[in-house]
Amino acid sequence: MKKRIFGILAAAIMLLPTLALLGGCGGKQADVILKVYSWAEYIDEGGEGSYLYDTLAEEKGEGAVSASDAPPILDDFEKWYEETYHESIRVDYATFGTNEDMYNEIVLGNEYDLLCPSDYMIMKLAAEDRIVPYDASFFDSADPNNYYVRNVSPYIRDVFENGTVTVTQDGEQAAHKWSEYAAGYMWGTTGFVYNPEHVERDDLEALGWQTFVSDKYTNKITAKDNVRDTYFAALGLTYEQELLALDKSGDGYNQALTDIFNRTAEQYTDAVGDTLLDMKKNIYGFETDTGKADMVSGKIWLNYAWSGDAVYALDEAEEDDLYLEYFVPEAGSNLWFDGWVLTKGVEERGTKKAAQAFVNYMSMPESAKRNSYYIGYTSVIAGENTTDENGEAYNEMLDYADWLYGYEFDPETEDEPAETVDYDLTYFFLGADAEEGQTVITAEKDSAEKRQLFAQFPPEDVIARCAVMNYFDADTSERINELWSHVKAETLDTWAIVVLCVAAVAIVAFVLLVKFGNKIDLFRPKPKKGYELVEQEAPKNDYEPVNKEKSKE
Amino acid sequence: MKLRFSRKTLCIPYAVFLLFFVIVPMAVILVYAFTDRNMHFSFGNFIKFFSDPTKLSTIVYSIVIALITTVVCLLIAYPVAYILARSKMKKKHVILMLFVVPMWINFVLRVNAIRELFNWIGLLGQANYFNTVFGMVYDFLPFMILPLYTTLMKIDPSLYEASYDLGGNGFTAFTRVTLPLSVPGIVSGVTMVFLPSMTNYVVSDMLGNSMVTIIGKFIYEYFGSDWHMGSMVALVLLVVVFVSTLLTGGFKSEENVRGANL
Repeated sequence: MKKRIFGILAAAIMLLPTLALLGGCGGKQADVILKVYSWAEYIDEGGEGSYLYDTLAEEKGEGAVSASDAPPILDDFEKWYEETYHESIRVDYATFGTNEDMYNEIVLGNEYDLLCPSDYMIMKLAAEDRIVPYDASFFDSADPNNYYVRNVSPYIRDVFENGTVTVTQDGEQAAHKWSEYAAGYMWGTTGFVYNPEHVERDDLEALGWQTFVSDKYTNKITAKDNVRDTYFAALGLTYEQELLALDKSGDGYNQALTDIFNRTAEQYTDAVGDTLLDMKKNIYGFETDTGKADMVSGKIWLNYAWSGDAVYALDEAEEDDLYLEYFVPEAGSNLWFDGWVLTKGVEERGTKKAAQAFVNYMSMPESAKRNSYYIGYTSVIAGENTTDENGEAYNEMLDYADWLYGYEFDPETEDEPAETVDYDLTYFFLGADAEEGQTVITAEKDSAEKRQLFAQFPPEDVIARCAVMNYFDADTSERINELWSHVKAETLDTWAIVVLCVAAVAIVAFVLLVKFGNKIDLFRPKPKKGYELVEQEAPKNDYEPVNKEKSKE
Repeated sequence: MKLRFSRKTLCIPYAVFLLFFVIVPMAVILVYAFTDRNMHFSFGNFIKFFSDPTKLSTIVYSIVIALITTVVCLLIAYPVAYILARSKMKKKHVILMLFVVPMWINFVLRVNAIRELFNWIGLLGQANYFNTVFGMVYDFLPFMILPLYTTLMKIDPSLYEASYDLGGNGFTAFTRVTLPLSVPGIVSGVTMVFLPSMTNYVVSDMLGNSMVTIIGKFIYEYFGSDWHMGSMVALVLLVVVFVSTLLTGGFKSEENVRGANL
C-alpha cells in the first residue's frame, strides 16, 4: 500500500503540468470517454500512405484524393459506436514506447481502460491482478457486432486458447486461458533483415544464430537494445546445436523448443552471459529504432528485427532500389503477440462495453486491413470464410493478402512471367487442422521465400519453430537485468577501481583541505616569510585564532 | 479584506515550485533508493551498488568521459572567448552568434547529423568512445563559450594597462590578470558542461551505437525494471555531482581571493 501512495505522489508531480494543459484544452463532450493506451504508430492515422488513401488513389487517380478522404480510424470508430450503440463516445488515445513505460504508468495508478501490451507483459499484468477478463458476451459469435470472435484467425484463436496465464486474485493463484484476458491485435516473428548484396542466403542458413558472432559480419550486424530480445537471441546462439537436434516431426517439438527459449534459471544465465559478451564484441551496436534506417543507408548488412519492422524496412529500401530480405533461423525464433487487455476497474468506470466494442471495431476486416497496411505488422484477423456471388469461397483478408502480394503477369510492363510459387496460408485462415492447400496465394518466388510476404505472413513451418518467451518474475528479472548491465557497461579490474576510488577520495580531501584547512588549527598555513613576524615568533601553544567573534569580545 | 502583496506573498509560487519539483521528488528518490520491492527499509541496493564492479566502473567511465569533454571544451572555448572579448572587430558578435546558433537547432537533429558525418568518414561503429566525446564537445561547446566570453568582456582594460606599466609582458598579463579574473567564467562553464555530459546518454547511444554506457543510461534502464536500484544510481550520481560542485566551488573562492589580492 505504501508503494501506491508514493507512486501516486510521484505521478502527481510528474503529471501536474500535463493535467494543467489538459484542463485548459478539454475535448469534445461525450457520454463515454474511453481511454486507450497503445504503442506509438500502431494504428491507422489516415492521410497519405493509409489504406483508404492508397486504394482510393488507385481507383480515381492520385490527384483526385485528398487527405480528408482517409480519416484516422479513431474518428470512424467514434462514428460507428454512436450509430451502433446510440451513445456518443470520445477516445482518449495515448501511446507508449516500451512495455516497461506502459507498465510504470499503470503501476503509478493511471486509469486507462484498454491497453495493448506484448505477450509477456500481459502475463505480468495478469499475475499482478491488474487486468480483468472479457465478458462472456464478447465471445458470442451470434452477435453481429462481435467482430473479434468471428474474424480472428483460427490459428491465433488456438494459441490464445492453449496458452495459460497465472492470475493472482485475492491472494490465490489460478491458471486461466489467455483468451479470457486478451484479444489479439498484431503478431509476428523475429529474424534477420539482411542485404543480399553483401550477405549470401546460403551462408546465413548455414550460420543461423551464429551470424551474431561470425567474423564475416563483424561490425555489420546489430542487436536490439532491450534485454528480452537480445537475451532471446543469445539463447538461440548458446543452445543452437541442441535446438537443431530436436525432432521436428515429434509432437512435443514446439514445447521442447519453447522450454529452451525460456531458460532463465541461474544454471543457464552464466553461459548466456558469456554469449552476450561475445556478441557485443562482434556487433556494430545495439539499436532501438535506428536499425531500419541503417540498413537502408548501407551502414549495416544485418539487422535483428521484428517482422513488422522488417516489412517496413523492406518497403522503405525498395523505394531506394535496394532489395532487402528477411530470414528466420532454422533453429527457431521468437513468436510474439500484442493484445488488447482490459484494466482493472474498467467495470466500475462503466467503460467495459465501449472497450470491448473498440476491440471489435479494430477486428473488422476493414479495420484490420487499414491498421496492418499503415504499420506493416500482421493483424491477427483472418476474416470470415464466406462465398461470393458466384458461389466461390471468399475471404476478405485473404483477398487483401492477395491484393498486396499476389502475382499476375502484366504483359505491358514485363517481357516474361516471373517465377511464382503457391504460398499456402491455410493454417492461418482455416486453422492448423484444416487440409492444406485451401487458401493459397500465387506470389513471386522471392516475395514468398524471403521478402515481404514471407515476413508478414510466416509460413506454417516457420511458426512451428517459433517460441513465445514468458515473462520474467521479479527475481529472474532482477538477475537478468544485472546480467544485461554487465554486458552493456564496461567493467574495470578491481584493482583499477580501488586505485581510482582512493585517488578520488584523495583529491576530494585535498581540495577540502585547501578550502577549509585554515579553519583547522593543524593545517593552518604558515605565514609567508617577512610577514607577521610577531605571530611567527609567538609560542605555538599561545596562539589564538583571530576571528570576528573573538575580536568583538 | 484588503489584498496586500508583500514580498513574502510573491515568494509563495517559488516556494511551492521548489517544494513540489525539487524537494519532494528528491525525497521520493531517497525513499525508493533505501527500500526494497515491498517498500521495506533496506540497505540492499546500497550494498549491491558498491559491491558491483560494473556499476562502479560505469561511474568511473562517466566521470572520465565528462572530464575529457570538459577539458576539450575549455581548451577550445577559452581562446575563442578570449580573442572575441579582446578584439576590436566591429562584427564580433556575429562570430559569437555563429558559435551559439547550433543551440537553436534541435539537439537530436544535430546529433543525427554528426552520426551521418561520422558514417561518411567511417568512424561510426569503429571508435565509439571518441565519437561520444566528440558529440558531447560539439553539443556543450556553446555552454562553455558564453560564460567565458561574458566574464572576459567584463575585465576592465585598464587592468591590462596597469600590468604593462608594472613591467609585465603579454604572457604575465594573461597569467596574472586575465586568467585569475576569468575563473568565475571557467567555473560556471565547467559546471554547465561537466554535469550534463555525465548523463546525456542520447549522445552515447546515437554516436556510440549504444555500446558506450554512461550513468544516465543506467538510470534510464533501471527505471524500466527496478525503480529502487534506479533511484540508488540516481542518488549516487547526485552525490558525485554535489561533490564535484563543491570541488569547483572550492577552487573558485580560493582563486577569487588571489584575484582580489592582485
